[in-house]
Amino acid sequence: MSDRDERSGQVPARATPQAAPTAGVGGPLGAAALVVYAIVALTGGLLLAFWWAPTADEMGGFAQKIFFYHVPIAETALVAFAVAFVAGIMYLARRDARYDRLGLVAVRLGLLFSALVMATGMIWGKAAWGVWWTWEPRLTTFLIACLLYCGYFVLRATVEDESRRATYAALFAIIAFVDVPLTFFATRLVPEGSQLHPVVVTTTGTGMDTAVLVPLLICMLGMTLLFAGLLRLGVATEALREELAVLKDRLER
Amino acid sequence: MSAVGRRQFRALLRKDVTSELRTKEMLVSMFLFAVLAMVVFHYAFSVRRDVDLTFFTGGMLWVTFIFGALLGLNRSFVHEKDEGCLDGLLLCPVDRVTIFFAKMAANLVFLGVIQLLTVPVFSVFFVTRGYWGDLGALLAVLVLADLGICALGTLLATISMNTRARDLLLPIVFLPLIVPLLVAATSATTAIFAQTATGDALWPRLAFLAGYDAVFLVVAWGTYDFAIGEG
Repeated sequence: MSDRDERSGQVPARATPQAAPTAGVGGPLGAAALVVYAIVALTGGLLLAFWWAPTADEMGGFAQKIFFYHVPIAETALVAFAVAFVAGIMYLARRDARYDRLGLVAVRLGLLFSALVMATGMIWGKAAWGVWWTWEPRLTTFLIACLLYCGYFVLRATVEDESRRATYAALFAIIAFVDVPLTFFATRLVPEGSQLHPVVVTTTGTGMDTAVLVPLLICMLGMTLLFAGLLRLGVATEALREELAVLKDRLER
Repeated sequence: MSAVGRRQFRALLRKDVTSELRTKEMLVSMFLFAVLAMVVFHYAFSVRRDVDLTFFTGGMLWVTFIFGALLGLNRSFVHEKDEGCLDGLLLCPVDRVTIFFAKMAANLVFLGVIQLLTVPVFSVFFVTRGYWGDLGALLAVLVLADLGICALGTLLATISMNTRARDLLLPIVFLPLIVPLLVAATSATTAIFAQTATGDALWPRLAFLAGYDAVFLVVAWGTYDFAIGEG
C-alpha cells in the first residue's frame, strides 16, 4: 500500500472512479454472458444425461448419473489450478498485479471445485460402493490438493507487503501444481492398489458410448465456461476491491 | 557451479555446521524428539503385548523423521533472520542458488546425523528381523528421501521465515507437499523391514523418490531468487 501512496498527490490511474468498474463483466465474452452459456450447457447436458444416456448397471445404476457432473467438476478444478500455475509464472516474469489477482481467484475457484469433487465423489461412492470415503488414489489426491491450496491462503494472510505476498503466492501456486501429479502417482504406490475408479480413458480410446460421451462433453464445456465466467467476475471484483482500498485511503488523508 | 561458487558453498556449509556444533541445540533436540516419538508410537499402537508392529514401522520411522526435519528446518533460518545474518549474506556477492544449496546441504547433514543415531535405536525397538542384506536398499531410501525433504523444506523454510507466521507456516505448507515422498518412502521402508522387499516392490518407489528429488531440486533452483529476494 505504501508505495503508491507516496506519489505526492498524484492520482494512480487505477484509482479513478470512472475506470470502468464493470470491466470484464459485460459483453459477449464477459462474466455474465459466460455464466449464461454455462447454465445452458449444464442444463442441456444434464437433460441429455437423463433422457438419452443409457443407465449403466455395472457402474451403480441410476446413481451413476452424478458422473456427468462429477467428472466435469474434477476436470475444472485441475484447469483452475493450471490457470493459477500459469498466472504464477506470468507474475514472476512480468510483476504485474493482474496476474496475482488472476492466480488468487483461480486458486479460490479451484478449491471450491475440489470441495465439490469430493462432495459428489462421496455421494457417488456411497451409492456405488457403499462407503462415504475410501482412500482411493483420485479421491485422496483431491483431498491433499485441498489441504495444499488451503495453505495458499494461510500463506497470503501472513505476508503484509503486497509485492512480496504476490511473489510468494505465485511461487506457491507453481510448487503446488507440480506436486499434484506427484501425489497422484504416489498414491498409486500404496500396496493394496485400491483401484475402485473405473478406468475410462485408455490408450485405445475412451471406451464410451456416444450417448454417454456427448452429454459428458457438453457438461465439461459448461463447467469450464462456468469457471471462466466466475474467474472473470472474481478478477473484476478483486480489481474493484483494490481500487476501493486506494480510494478509502485517499479519503482518510 | 564455478570455482568461486564452490568455495562459497563450502564456506557457507562450514559456517552452519560449525555454529551448530558449538551449541548442538538443534541436533540434541532433534534426537530427543525422535526417541520420544518412538516411545509414544509404542504406547499408541501396542494395545496388546502380542501386536505385531512390523507393518507400522515404515510409517513410524518417517513420521518421526518428517517432524524432526521440521524442527531443524525452522531453526535453519530463524537464527539467520533474528541475528540479521541473512541481510549480511544477501549483501555479499553470492549467487542465491549457492545459498540454497549450502543451506540444503547443512540440513541434509543434520538430518543424516539424526538418522545415523536413531535408525539403530528404532531397529532394536521395533524391527524383529535382521535386515543386513537389505541395508543398501534402506540406505538408498534414506538418502533419496532426505534429499527431497531438504530440497523442498529449505525452499519452503525460506518463504515461511519471511512471513509474519514464521515457523507456524512451515508445517502447513510443507506437510501436504511432502505427502507423495512420504507415501513412497514409507511403503519402501515397511517392505524392507517386513522382508517383502523384492526388486519389483522397491524399484518403482526408489525411482519415484529420485524423480521427486529431481523435480523439486529443479523448482528450487529456478525459483530461489524469488523466495529469498527482497520481494
